[in-house]
Amino acid sequence: MLKGVHQKLEPQQTPAFFVRGASPFSRMVFFCALSIIMMATDARLNYLSQVRQGFIAALHPLEMIAKAPSNWVRDVNRYFSAHNQLVQENYALKQQAFEHQVRLQRLSTIEAENTHLRSLLNGDIPIQPKAILGEISHTGRDPFSLVVVVNRGSQHNVKAGQAVADSKGVIGQITRVFPFSSEVTLITDKELSIPIQIERNQLRAIAFGEGNNTLDIPYLPANVDIKVGDKLVTSGIDGVYPAGLAVAKVTKILQNPESPFAKIISTPVAEVSNHLQLLILELPQAKEAALPVAAPTAAEASVITKPAAAKPISNSQAPNTPIPTTIIPAPKKPAFNNSAPMNKAKPNAPN
Amino acid sequence: MRPTSLIAVIITLLIALICQLFPWVGQGVILRPDFMLVVMLYWLLRAPNLCNVGTAWIAGILVDLATGSLLGQHALSFTLTAYMGLSYQRRLVLFNPWQLAGYVFGLLMFERLLMLFLKLFEGNSFPGWSYFLPVFSGLLLWHLMIILFGALTRPKH
Repeated sequence: MLKGVHQKLEPQQTPAFFVRGASPFSRMVFFCALSIIMMATDARLNYLSQVRQGFIAALHPLEMIAKAPSNWVRDVNRYFSAHNQLVQENYALKQQAFEHQVRLQRLSTIEAENTHLRSLLNGDIPIQPKAILGEISHTGRDPFSLVVVVNRGSQHNVKAGQAVADSKGVIGQITRVFPFSSEVTLITDKELSIPIQIERNQLRAIAFGEGNNTLDIPYLPANVDIKVGDKLVTSGIDGVYPAGLAVAKVTKILQNPESPFAKIISTPVAEVSNHLQLLILELPQAKEAALPVAAPTAAEASVITKPAAAKPISNSQAPNTPIPTTIIPAPKKPAFNNSAPMNKAKPNAPN
Repeated sequence: MRPTSLIAVIITLLIALICQLFPWVGQGVILRPDFMLVVMLYWLLRAPNLCNVGTAWIAGILVDLATGSLLGQHALSFTLTAYMGLSYQRRLVLFNPWQLAGYVFGLLMFERLLMLFLKLFEGNSFPGWSYFLPVFSGLLLWHLMIILFGALTRPKH
């Protein structure tokens, strides 16, 4: 019987020298399992988007603290910036505004004429997208995805799926909305695609982000009529981006004799890194989406060969704000003035 | 070694979070150290009774929420790194500062590789060698922590 006691005692481990609670290994296993469950929940189900939104809202004061020093530096710089420079800038801006005024006058007459002609032809009248002026507060903190964060959120009526542009062209699309900020995925991000049109010959195609500040236009035959320097503008058939906004410029065309497709590389014209202000364009109204959708022409059908990817990025983070993905018939005569929707946009008063 | 307190741990982690939220623009994004990870590792190796694997997990979740990555990615990598760090924690007193720095370098590198693995698994492409620069800036931050809060190794006589 003593032998039995001995056998029972033998497999016991030596007592821990310091009392540390559960062993690090068991803690590690528990927390790893917890993280994997959370990752699966976040990736597959949308339960955690509310948690994230709440946390980002709670983090807002901390973010303000973090931003305070750089804001101070900027304010002090502004205070001491030379008077001369401000005068010059003011002069240049006034001149620019005058030029724009003149162009705008012409544009409004052309637009009135266009509306009139459309009404004669019983066509639908193009809508003027409204826009919200936002400011980039910082670039994304994740080195793997190309995003910028804007200081306008759901409190300012920003919704996921809205297009974002600057004075030069399209920047991207809102993918996540928080109460006081929102995340803009750039068109160069690998997850974003944008329906485009070659300005010169109105060829429709879809451009995909490459992840390294370039766009790729796949699935076009090697003999396609695209030249280096061609401008790409939005075609407006997606119901997200208004038609006629500048997107990119073709910079390189690689012909591979083994492949039936041309590799067309283009760089975006928007200058995300050069300035802070950008416009968040309103989504087209539901009225337009409810219009009878014409059967896509053969050309359209052949272009859209990748329906899953052609769809603009899905707003998996905000299930209550669906992006209209209905394909809307492109206007027969798209206005090719790149600044047309921009000039008509009435930004809400900033700040 | 000076005595440690839970308040110091919480406050430094909070400051690290603010640093993480700091609006980094331009080249700073590439060089920026992983503040939360370095501060968490310092307290983990210094006072495992105050900062353990659970703290690492919470720090990781906070980083996930702040960076907007998939919830749980940083939590997983921080947890595993904390476990690796703890496995040699009791022997650190015998290390000299250079050996300790090497040990921390290894841990930071392990975290980066783990994160890279998770991100590649998610479908991202390799972001280039500059991805590993935060390991070196993290080492600088580590030395700043040692200057501020005391060394982990035995003082020289």
